[in-house]
Amino acid sequence: MTETVKTRIVVADDDLDILDLVVFKLNQAGFDTVAVTDGVAALAAIEAEPTRLAILDIMMPGLSGLDVLRNLRANEATKGLDVILLTARARDADVDTGFATGANDYVIKPFSPRELLHRVNAVLARGDR
Amino acid sequence: MSAGRTFLIVGAAIGLACASAIIVVAIAKLRRGRVAARSRAMLAPYRHSLITMVSGEDDDGQAREALSAVPAPIWVCLRPSVVAFLPKVRGLPADNLGELMRAHGEIDEATRRLTSRSAVRRARAAYLLGLVRDPASAALVLPLLSDHVADVRLVAARALGTIGDPAAASGILDALRTQNGQIGLPAWVAAEALLAMGPGIGPVLQIGLASKDPAVRNVCAKVAGHGTYLSTVPQLRVLLATDSDGDVRVSSAVALGRVGGAHDAAILLRHTDASEPTVLRRTCATALGDLGQRESLEALAGLLADDDRRLAERAADSLVRIGTEGIARLREAAVTTPQGPSARAAGCALELAGLRGQLAVSLTGS
Repeated sequence: MTETVKTRIVVADDDLDILDLVVFKLNQAGFDTVAVTDGVAALAAIEAEPTRLAILDIMMPGLSGLDVLRNLRANEATKGLDVILLTARARDADVDTGFATGANDYVIKPFSPRELLHRVNAVLARGDR
Repeated sequence: MSAGRTFLIVGAAIGLACASAIIVVAIAKLRRGRVAARSRAMLAPYRHSLITMVSGEDDDGQAREALSAVPAPIWVCLRPSVVAFLPKVRGLPADNLGELMRAHGEIDEATRRLTSRSAVRRARAAYLLGLVRDPASAALVLPLLSDHVADVRLVAARALGTIGDPAAASGILDALRTQNGQIGLPAWVAAEALLAMGPGIGPVLQIGLASKDPAVRNVCAKVAGHGTYLSTVPQLRVLLATDSDGDVRVSSAVALGRVGGAHDAAILLRHTDASEPTVLRRTCATALGDLGQRESLEALAGLLADDDRRLAERAADSLVRIGTEGIARLREAAVTTPQGPSARAAGCALELAGLRGQLAVSLTGS
């Protein structure tokens, strides 16, 4: 019997409500999720096991989501990892900065969990092409 | 009594006071921790239902039903979690949270409190109704825009912005006016609330741009630019050229830079003339960069030698933002008269653009 390998997603947010919500939604959709509450733990979780996607809040203690993203893009092993920024920073300049830093998508809070799931699937599908 | 003994007694008293304070703080923290742990344990069975509902996975409505049926003592503990989720999600989950609040009588209670004698209660009620984002609440919150307490007016305006009903837009503009010596809403609060209401406020903005009150015209011009309300462009052109209020002219110039078209370059350029107020000239130079039309290249290059060095800097920055052709003009100015004022402004802008990585981009796109 073969066991299906679930797609691993790291979710980093210091807001436990958001963290619980995103992890629940992704688990319901069949993903393997790892929840962390800061940037340093996010990097550690991504480097610990092969990860397909990271969902990062921008404003986190220690390393911000953008710092984590810069680290990922600068590292040969993780530079191709898909990243979605999930943040309350909604100004045009913030969105520009997010994409310029290398995010694959940018979701603004308040957000729709259903829409987030669609975006996760879309980003993963783009990466598979 | 000797001085040494006095010091000893005072020292002992201070030490005792410090020790007591530490004990009190430790007990308070312990109690708070216990209360929080008890509250978490009590809420644990409901937390799963709440997350299920907020995630949009409550297809059969069981989670919502269970949460609507929780007894009052548990709802008191659960309520902060529900309220905490309200500003974090939108769409169906947000609607469900609103319905849950309604099922527990929170909306009715907040509606009652809008007329409370306590300003704090009125403000909190407006805040909650804003969080729930029920369009039916807009009409109830609207009267608080003329509340005698400034903070209540402010919370009401923000709540109306969050609710997002364009029907409340004219109320926000009315609240800007100073009445009976009291300043109405701060301009930025009104602008934020209007922007949050979305495209439906276009007609109200057009009326506001023709208002007799310069504060209203100014806010409408700002919102027109930031919210990309193209229908306001003809009025913005007139206000830039003729308004009696300097701030309104400046806001109109900024807005035209954002929403104007190719022929607005000539209009903005006209207002960089030396006869115009300094602030307006500088604003128009920046707006030309926002507009990004090549028709303004020549005139912006001419401004590099202007006596107003701030204006020259802004013109140089606008040339960078226009792209390849603008950068070529700057390079030209930097080498033609190396010691001249144009060269200094151009050199500085090119250096900054290089640091920002804009020069590499300009080689690949215009």
